[in-house]
Amino acid sequence: MADVLRIEGLGKSYGSKPALRDVSLAVADNEYVSLLGPSGSGKTVLLQLIAGFELPDRGRILFDGSDIASVPAHERGIGFVFQNFALFPHLSVYDNIGFGLVNRQSDPVTDPVVLSSRIREMVELVGLSGLEDRGVHQISGGQRQRVALARTLVSQPRIVLLDEPLGALDANLRTRMRGELRRIRSQLGITFLHVTGSETEALAMGDRIVVLNEGMIGQVDTPDIVYNSPLSPNVAHSLNCYNLFTGSIQSSSFLAGTHRFPLNGTLHPNPTPAYAIRQDLISVRPGNASLASSEVALTATYLASEYTGAAFMYFFRAEDGHIVEVENHLSHRAAQNLDVNATYQLVWKADDALVYG
Amino acid sequence: MTIASTTPDTTDMTPSNLGPLRSKASYWLIAPGVIWMTLFLVVPLGMMVYVSFWSQTTFKIEPILTTKSWETFFSSDTYLNALWTTIRIWLLVLLSTFVVGYPTALFVGLFVKNKTLATTLLVLCVIPFWTSFLIRVLAWRPMLGKEGAINIILQALHITREPIEALLFTELSVIIGMTQIYCVFMVGPIAFMLGRIDPNVIEAARDLGASFWRIFRTIILPLSMPGVIVGGIFVSVMVLGEFATAAALSGRKVNMLGNIIVTQVGSLKWAFAAVVGVILTILMGVVVAGFLRIVDLKREL
Repeated sequence: MADVLRIEGLGKSYGSKPALRDVSLAVADNEYVSLLGPSGSGKTVLLQLIAGFELPDRGRILFDGSDIASVPAHERGIGFVFQNFALFPHLSVYDNIGFGLVNRQSDPVTDPVVLSSRIREMVELVGLSGLEDRGVHQISGGQRQRVALARTLVSQPRIVLLDEPLGALDANLRTRMRGELRRIRSQLGITFLHVTGSETEALAMGDRIVVLNEGMIGQVDTPDIVYNSPLSPNVAHSLNCYNLFTGSIQSSSFLAGTHRFPLNGTLHPNPTPAYAIRQDLISVRPGNASLASSEVALTATYLASEYTGAAFMYFFRAEDGHIVEVENHLSHRAAQNLDVNATYQLVWKADDALVYG
Repeated sequence: MTIASTTPDTTDMTPSNLGPLRSKASYWLIAPGVIWMTLFLVVPLGMMVYVSFWSQTTFKIEPILTTKSWETFFSSDTYLNALWTTIRIWLLVLLSTFVVGYPTALFVGLFVKNKTLATTLLVLCVIPFWTSFLIRVLAWRPMLGKEGAINIILQALHITREPIEALLFTELSVIIGMTQIYCVFMVGPIAFMLGRIDPNVIEAARDLGASFWRIFRTIILPLSMPGVIVGGIFVSVMVLGEFATAAALSGRKVNMLGNIIVTQVGSLKWAFAAVVGVILTILMGVVVAGFLRIVDLKREL
């Protein structure tokens, strides 16, 4: 697949605060890329640089192989879907979708037949048939999301940038729109770059995930690889499903405060040593249970639990005050009867842990 | 257990439980306003209509019903001219406050990103009101007069040879003065509406390829229309009832309906003043109703 978008050494600062430092990325044609990062990671800045709303301090953005630094936003062939949709509040669904075609400076569509057929085609694609004449305040949040998408897609962009597109929707709608977004994208065969702060959304949506941390790219890979083997402690942290311990590596152990974890074979090179164990790979055992040789244990006090429907989250405090979260999938293991303030052993296989250093 | 016991407390706090309270006791909240407005607005207005049909002799007015005062108004060129002058000045001031006010509001409401600065600028617009009306009128005379500042400067720059006499004591000076006074009432509501436009909406329009002029025409202007309407109503109601600026800046040459009322009351012609008052009130009512038909304010605000 050809790269439709290449970013090389992109940097942007606001005052003395770097928002983006040295970001390089290649996005292929006909691909769904999700960009995961916490707030302040620079993900919105990156999107605005690509869209052309802001200019980079350093680096190049190549679209189809040519530098688009001097190309104004609307001539880049890049669509943008705003977080709050930014629909035109005084226009109908139909007029919102047609706005770009009618009002653009270069090559506006003046033939009413062509205009109408292109708008209807888009209305059908996003599933808004019958709502064309409604005002945008007379439709639901999910429908507004579809209008925002259709308004951008009707101009036939090669890439669509979506800035937290599902953030304004309620939870069950969000799940439905995920599927819709993927369907619409694969039907059109264009590239979506979807920015989100939610790890579940990023994992569910992307053919590939780009993890952004503190203005740098932490990892670019398929969702399962990112989920199972995050490249750095920062990436693991972004995924929000790992317990992370900082400390140091001494001979064959990882020292985290008063805890000592024996090391397994692989060590992921990283400037800051860290030990990561996924929340659902930990089991809770009574304080006096014995261990197999391949297992690692941490003594901790039970604090509280949180029921999430398919699972329980258990919260423990280790001896050094570190909070450890354990996810207990109910399909996998029955709910455990734990006593608050009692001491338990948190046990995992040494091989399951990821060690950085 | 704790959840169950707190549930009744939280439901008591919900607005729906204010229902019975709202239906009875809360009506007392509007009683002072209703009484006040009835006594001092509705009843006097009714009286005005009634008095307009009283019989007026030179020094006396009697409650004998007649349409004589009404006939006088509609058969006199002077009074019909005053009606026409009022409408003309109103339209011109409305136009000039819009032309001067809209760009100002556009700057304050849309291009000043800092909300504190925008508020400060709007307060600056109100500063002229910190000087008294009388002092401003006094100040305009040496400015606009035959040997006033404007004429001196124009002649010094050799733009005009003779002083322009039309600047003072004409309809032009009345319009200049009124525009200055009422412009802020146009700027405020428009700036408020412009300030409420989501910047992303404009960004989206730009991203879709529209030029600034297109965005202004298709997005910004329609979205600020409620502000224009509210500003227009403010300015209209005030200009239609004007008499002081017209008298002071025209040297009593420009007579609006307001000036007629002042003169008639001054010569104790109450019945006739009441006729003009009723006509002015109807005119304002028609103008306001007309404005409200253009934009559905309930929906837009």
